[in-house]
Amino acid sequence: MTMNRRRFLQVSGASITAAFFAACDSQGPEHAQRILTMAEHANEHVERALFRHTSMDRAAAGARAAGAAFPQYYVSDSVPVWDETVRGPWTLEVGGLVERPVRLDLDALTRLPRVSQRVNHFCVEGWTAVAEWTGTRVSELAKLVGVKPEAQYVDFASFDDDYHESWDLASALHPQTLIAYGMDGRMLGPGHGAPARVHSPVKLGYKNTKYLVRVQFMAQRNGGYWSDQGYEWYGGT
Amino acid sequence: MATRHHWIVRVTHWVNVFALGIMVTSGLRIFNAYPAFARKGETFCCYPFAGRAVPDWLTFGGWLAGARHWHFAAMWVLVVNGLVYLGFNYLHGDWRDVTPRRGDLRDAWEMVKFYAFARRDHPRQGKHNALQRAAYFAMPVLGVVAVVSGVAIWKPVELGWLTSLLGGYVWARYWHFLAMIGLVGMTAVHVFMVFSVDPYALRAITTGGYNEEKSPEARNARPFWWKRAQPAAPPTSEAS
Repeated sequence: MTMNRRRFLQVSGASITAAFFAACDSQGPEHAQRILTMAEHANEHVERALFRHTSMDRAAAGARAAGAAFPQYYVSDSVPVWDETVRGPWTLEVGGLVERPVRLDLDALTRLPRVSQRVNHFCVEGWTAVAEWTGTRVSELAKLVGVKPEAQYVDFASFDDDYHESWDLASALHPQTLIAYGMDGRMLGPGHGAPARVHSPVKLGYKNTKYLVRVQFMAQRNGGYWSDQGYEWYGGT
Repeated sequence: MATRHHWIVRVTHWVNVFALGIMVTSGLRIFNAYPAFARKGETFCCYPFAGRAVPDWLTFGGWLAGARHWHFAAMWVLVVNGLVYLGFNYLHGDWRDVTPRRGDLRDAWEMVKFYAFARRDHPRQGKHNALQRAAYFAMPVLGVVAVVSGVAIWKPVELGWLTSLLGGYVWARYWHFLAMIGLVGMTAVHVFMVFSVDPYALRAITTGGYNEEKSPEARNARPFWWKRAQPAAPPTSEAS
C-alpha cells in the first residue's frame, strides 16, 4: 500500500492515541506519576508561601447553617462511640516534642479558653457546609504544653479505627484551628466526631480528624489516613 | 508559500490542546465527586442537573485524588503556556489579527449570511474573518475566567478576597464550571469549522505552511463545501 501524507497522518495519529491509552491504567501513564508527585511538592511550597495566620474564613452572612444536612462521616463500619465501660473515661493526650505533656478529660478541655466561630467546612469533594464550632484553639494547647522548637508537625489521631492526619505546625497554630467539642450551640454529636475533633477552615475536611484522642507534636510528618491513600498531604485551603 | 502562524503560536496551540484536555477531563472527574453546586442544607438557583454525574468516559484521573493530582499539575502547563501565548501576541503584534475591530459586528453578520446561503460570495477578510476574531478573542478571556475562578476555589481561605470577589466559594465553583463549558463549546465549533471549512488550517497550525489560494475566501467555502457540487465562481468585478 502506498502511503500518502494524509494516510501517514491518520495512521500516526491513531497509533499515538492508542499508545497513550494503552500506557494508561485508570490514573494515566505510569511514568507520569513521578511528575505528579513533583507537582504536588511544588504546590505545597506555593501553598505554604501563601499561608497567613491573618487569613480568616468567615461564613457568608446569608449562608444557612447546614444543620442536619451536614454530612456525617467516619471510616469504621458503624458510628464510632467512646464506650466508657470498656475504655474508661475519654481523655485527650497531648504530647510528643513538648515540655509538659498532658492528658485532658472533657472537663479540663472545656475549661481552656473557648472560642466560637461560624465558618465553612471545605470538603475535598467540592461541597461546603456552614456550622458554628465551639472549642479551644490548638495554639492554646500548644501554649499549655510548651512546644519544643524542633517540632514542625502535628499529628491528630482518632479512635475511629486507625484514622489520623498530620499537619504542618503553622496550619495547626492558625487561630481558626480548633479542638472543637461544640457544634451549632450543642455538644458535638457522635456523627460529627464526639467528644472532640479538629476543625479548621484552613484545611480540607479530610485533614480535620474526628473522634480525637491524641495530639502529637513531631519533628517529621507521618502522613495520614487519606494522605497515605493518595490525597494531597498538605490539603490546604 | 507563506508561514501563516509563528512557531510560538503553533507550539502553544498544541500544548494548550494537551493541557486543556487534561484540565477538562480531570476537572469533570473532580466534579463527579459532588456534581452539584449548593452549599449543604441549601439549594442552588442555576444548575438543573444537580446530582447527575457526567459519564466516566469523559473523565480522566481514575478517582478523585488521582484527578486532583492531574488537575493541579496540568494547571501550571496551562497557565505558563497561556502566558507565553499572550505575551508573544502582545510583543509581536499578532494580537491585531485576533482582536475585534470596528465594523466587526457588521462583518460577522455578513459571514452568518454567507454560511446561511443568504449571500453568494464569501465576505472579504484578512487573516481571519470577524466570527473567527470574536472566537479567538473570547477563548483567552474564558481561559482567564477559568484560571482565576480555579485559583479562587483552590485557595478559598488564603485568597479569600478573590473568592469573595467572585461571589463566594459556591459561585466561584459555578463560574469555573461555566468557563469550562464555554471553552469546550467553542473548541467543538472550532474543530468542526476547521474540518468542514478550512482543513488546510490544520497544516498551518502544525508546520506553518498555508496556501492563500486555498483559503476559504478564495474557495468561497462553506461547511462541507466539497460535499456539494462546486458552485460557479462568483462573478468578480473584472468579469462584469
